[in-house]
Amino acid sequence: MKNKQDFPNINERTPDGQKPDGTSYRVLIVDDSMFVTKQISQILTSEGFDIVGTASDGQEGYEKYKEQYPNVDFVTMDITMPRMDGVTALEKIIEFDKDAKVIMISALGKQDLVKKSLLIGAKNYIVKPLDRAKVLERILMSIR
Amino acid sequence: MRVEYINPFVEAAFNIIKEVVDSDINRGELYLKSTSQPVLGVAAIVGLAGDVEGRVLFDMNEATALKIASEMNGEEMAEFDDMAKATITELANMITAQAITKLHELGFTFDLTPPAIFTGTNMEVSDTGVEALIVPIEMSQGKMEINVAVRER
Repeated sequence: MKNKQDFPNINERTPDGQKPDGTSYRVLIVDDSMFVTKQISQILTSEGFDIVGTASDGQEGYEKYKEQYPNVDFVTMDITMPRMDGVTALEKIIEFDKDAKVIMISALGKQDLVKKSLLIGAKNYIVKPLDRAKVLERILMSIR
Repeated sequence: MRVEYINPFVEAAFNIIKEVVDSDINRGELYLKSTSQPVLGVAAIVGLAGDVEGRVLFDMNEATALKIASEMNGEEMAEFDDMAKATITELANMITAQAITKLHELGFTFDLTPPAIFTGTNMEVSDTGVEALIVPIEMSQGKMEINVAVRER
């Protein structure tokens, strides 16, 4: 009699949020919109990423990064935010940890700020509206 | 008011709504208003200042706003709470960003305020010295009016 182990299981795909050692990638989400934060969280947790923190402006994002360091693998960073914008927060995070992996989340029409971010050291960027495939592709490209 | 200002908002609304709300969408007849106009119940307002100045309203009733927010969140939302407001704000953000990109390409330069959401009943909006152009948009979730009042500086 054949048992279950004899059949390959198509569901046994490693989730994208898992590192080769089996642990989850840890992410800090910085965005002033609770809708966008929820959207990114849902996409990432469904793939096994671990959300280690969220922040609603650049200042809080920078502080949380320092707090969590080195237990954070990457950051998603909105560009337009109150108190401290995402480009300034990126600058501060890179100053603190030159190997930080930061992915910018941008509205359309912010090409100049996206370019500036990439020059400062952002690993990649995602233009809104966000969709699952685009978010996962850009993030995996930047962290693997 | 020149129609160049309004077309990018209408085009952007079509593109973004199709992409994020998954809606059948049709444009109604656009009309001009120079007196005050009723606001449907939930209105996201974005201010413009620069070569052109004025404001854009994305206006709908609460039931429609709730249906749109539910669709964008992928879950049924029962009340128009903070998450629903954040969702409609983000919708206004995305539409405006795309429209502005188009207007910048056409050579108009100006800045935007972040969207603010007004909710309530019996509200009206009045613009002094500038006509408002209103574009009704019919979606499966209900009607949204894009209400643009801008003038050259």
